[in-house]
Amino acid sequence: MTPPSWLGQGWLAPHYLGWLLHGAAMTAALALCVSLAATLLGILLCAAQDSPLRALYWPAHLFCSLHRNTPLLVQVLLWYFGAGGLLPDVTMQWLNTPHQWALPLGFSLDWPSFEWLAAWLALSLYSASFISAELAAGLNTVARGQKLAARALGMSEWQIFRFIVLPQALRVIRQPLLGQYTAVIKNTSLTMVIGVAELSYTSRQVESETLLAFQAFAVATLLYLLLVIGTQLAGSRQANGAPDA
Amino acid sequence: MMLTLLQDNLDYLLWGNLAQGQPGGLLLTVGISLAAGVLATLGGLAGGIALTMGSPRLKRSLTVLVQVLRAIPVLMLIFWCYFLLPILFGIDIPGVLTVIAALALINAAYLSQSVQAGIAAIGKGQWMAGAALGMTRWQTLRHIILPPALRHMLPSFINQWITLLKDSSLAYVVGVAEFTFVATQINNREQVYPLQVFGIVAIAYLLLCSGLEWSGRRLAGNSR
Repeated sequence: MTPPSWLGQGWLAPHYLGWLLHGAAMTAALALCVSLAATLLGILLCAAQDSPLRALYWPAHLFCSLHRNTPLLVQVLLWYFGAGGLLPDVTMQWLNTPHQWALPLGFSLDWPSFEWLAAWLALSLYSASFISAELAAGLNTVARGQKLAARALGMSEWQIFRFIVLPQALRVIRQPLLGQYTAVIKNTSLTMVIGVAELSYTSRQVESETLLAFQAFAVATLLYLLLVIGTQLAGSRQANGAPDA
Repeated sequence: MMLTLLQDNLDYLLWGNLAQGQPGGLLLTVGISLAAGVLATLGGLAGGIALTMGSPRLKRSLTVLVQVLRAIPVLMLIFWCYFLLPILFGIDIPGVLTVIAALALINAAYLSQSVQAGIAAIGKGQWMAGAALGMTRWQTLRHIILPPALRHMLPSFINQWITLLKDSSLAYVVGVAEFTFVATQINNREQVYPLQVFGIVAIAYLLLCSGLEWSGRRLAGNSR
């Protein structure tokens, strides 16, 4: 039986599957690094926007609305092409040449490529502005009366935050935060435009080499589904297993 | 410097090669967003209503479809539409249309969930009241449930339209000459002012998105 015409000729050779798997690993690694940095920066941004100090509030607020209201693609391009103008030439030269450190037992560590760094920076800044909004929304769900009651009991500001606000907020924040992490996985796909060899990039590469568009995108889509749904399941399982604070 | 850069390239940034019959730049970005926005809104309403009123089987298959669409990157969906729609239909489809199709589809998926949630947020008592008045389920939906539900949903619609406007920049990857694509062309030609070029582009998107948000808020304020 001949396959339908839209399927093209045959199936992907094993080494192309290898490319796609490699791309998926790159996507996962980039998403993990972005999630870590974005969470830390998101906490800082949230704290700054909660601060009574105008000098902290306004820069953080401006940062968030700038990053939330412009396309991620433009931000990625801006950092990739624009960083050269911001950094001294010597630094750029160092960043653009490969570096490797030897580790014990024959392992070695590569300094990431410039594309990878620009992608990581752009995605982290973008995601941090969204994460800080989720954190702020979670903290705001704790009723004001509870804080007042805690203060009346003689608790310090830190104690109020640690024992009253945080435990309740964490429960509310978990799900939206998980949503942000899956968004990070999906957003890493944009870094293909600056040449980061993640899953979308490799699917396009496989497509142009083999001309098997359907197969290449089907495998890539499945891998994305695995990564995203895997993250969702892992996150909600942890939520169920954790004791209620 | 930023001013001369803007002056030299303003026409191209705003409408691309409109004189040659190929609209591009900001004009095309707005066009793509409007077309996909209207389709996504209609699709989202239909999807959300189907998720509420449909048979259990229809609901199940729609839910799976929505979940899958939400779990894959927009970029991937654009590839699917760009490379496979022409093969499936056996005709040459312009890149712009495939991008509009992809953006409409994914945003309709997100919106149908908002619509479903917005309808679910209206109390059961309202449905019963409709039934008690002798209305059918569809009449109740149309006259009792939807009017307040739509008002509650407006903020999530506005957010989705803003997301769509930003995501229209992804048309870049399949070579559609919208705003971001045109900007990278200018950046490649000028070579020396990447910060300024993409800075201008970012500001333009910022103004568009804030404008959309602002007018949306006003609309929401008036409908209360």
